[in-house]
Amino acid sequence: MEHRRRDARVGPEQLLALIDNTSAVIYMRDLQGRYMLINEEYERLFNVSREDIIGMKDHDLFPAEMADEFLANDKVAAKSGGPVQFEEIAPGDDGPHTYLTIKFPLLGSDGEAYAVCGISTDITDRKRAEQEVRLFNVKLEQRVRERTAELEASTKELDAFAYSVSHDLRAPLRSLHGFSQLLLEDYSDLLDETGVSHLRRLQVNATLMAQLLDDLLRLSRTTRVELRRQSIDLTAMAESILHDLAAEEPDRTVKLSVEPELHDVGDLHLVRLAMQNLIANAWKFTGGESVAEITIGSMLRDSQPVFFVRDNGAGFDPRFENKLFEPFQRLHSAADFEGSGIGLAIVQRVVLRHGGAIWAESVPGEGATFFFTLASPVSLSEQRGEDDAK
Amino acid sequence: MMLNDQILLIEDNPDDVTFTQRAFRKNNFGNKIVVANDGAMAMKLLLPPAGIVALRPSIVLLDINLPQMSGLDVLRRLRSEEATKLIPVIMLTTSNDDRDVRASYECGANGFVRKPVAFDDFLCAVKSLGLYWLEVNEQVRPQERRSG
Repeated sequence: MEHRRRDARVGPEQLLALIDNTSAVIYMRDLQGRYMLINEEYERLFNVSREDIIGMKDHDLFPAEMADEFLANDKVAAKSGGPVQFEEIAPGDDGPHTYLTIKFPLLGSDGEAYAVCGISTDITDRKRAEQEVRLFNVKLEQRVRERTAELEASTKELDAFAYSVSHDLRAPLRSLHGFSQLLLEDYSDLLDETGVSHLRRLQVNATLMAQLLDDLLRLSRTTRVELRRQSIDLTAMAESILHDLAAEEPDRTVKLSVEPELHDVGDLHLVRLAMQNLIANAWKFTGGESVAEITIGSMLRDSQPVFFVRDNGAGFDPRFENKLFEPFQRLHSAADFEGSGIGLAIVQRVVLRHGGAIWAESVPGEGATFFFTLASPVSLSEQRGEDDAK
Repeated sequence: MMLNDQILLIEDNPDDVTFTQRAFRKNNFGNKIVVANDGAMAMKLLLPPAGIVALRPSIVLLDINLPQMSGLDVLRRLRSEEATKLIPVIMLTTSNDDRDVRASYECGANGFVRKPVAFDDFLCAVKSLGLYWLEVNEQVRPQERRSG
């Protein structure tokens, strides 16, 4: 046992081996700053040998400012009685390097410090990376600010454009329509049936274009208006929309079914606009059914409510599902079903602005079902955060 | 014809002037329509310098988009003057922008008509407007108000 213990005892050579085989810079100085010991990494970095450095001070090796700082730190460590951490800068081949330094005093039998040991780790790369990250973040924030400003500017521009469209493009249409009317009223004796018919068609088209302009504006407004989220009673909303539609066409027989207690959070006006369009679509495309059926309900998908509007009307060819939501795309002829083809584009924009999804299923001739969600489950918490920030 | 049987139309678009005149005629409103092509001219008629008789129309039809002095500017001015603040003013606009509607009422407009593209609709709008403001609605004159 004794034998083995003697073998295991660590001698000065072993300790030297220990401090020489590390990438840290290790050194020992007395309280006047005179070197007592350095490790090999020190020798290598500062090009000085262990023998030569004995008795030298930092002021012999480094610029005065650096040496002053090292000495000051040594004194702090000596006084503290235990290890203290510093960040120090020392010269390197490629410019100054930053070190994370632990300094601790060596205490004599009287408990007084007689020397200070230092272990310095080069953290230049880490500092540089941190600096880069900081710079990158600053740049990123700046980019975000710039992009936000650009977006705001383009939204304003779009706003002004939309306003101009609604004013300036409608006025000439009114003139077209109005003067056609004046021709019909004042010069009808000079016009034959074809002439009258041409003027009527001019009027129909002026009206149609005015409608298209209105739809286009409504579409752009859904993209521009600020979202104001609140709790929405979709059941009540659907019932009121259906009530209005039924009042407009009291002669139609439509079997209506609205699931009770449909609730979600969203922008009241935009969601109403979307529901209005979806339900009006169902109403329109069931116009040819002897017994039309419109069902509004919900189901759960990934523990999130998915709402749907189902009808037993004309439906659409599933091959063209991707075209359904494009503005001014119509899957039915104007003769069968009137409309500008903007309704579903509006619905899609409303849903997307809420962070939700929309899709549709159909068997032509048997009806269509439109499904939508108002927010994706993952984005829900983010959106709440965003709302809080406002 | 009484002075207040007149209607003042403040409108810079000559086509719209034609249609408005026609619409009033077709609806058999016998009122004389005085036209001002811009805000400055309207001001001259409604708030003339001393010594000149001011126009006191039954209603003012005011286009919101006028060159230079806008329709809203005209409206604000009318509402700020004792002599004109009670004249009913109906705003005419091409757009149905919410902001225009809101701004109009905030400035004290009595009504708001979006000029429809279809002439028939315009006739209807003028008809209901005329019925309400020229026949149903009794005029409140400043003198009566003061005495009452």
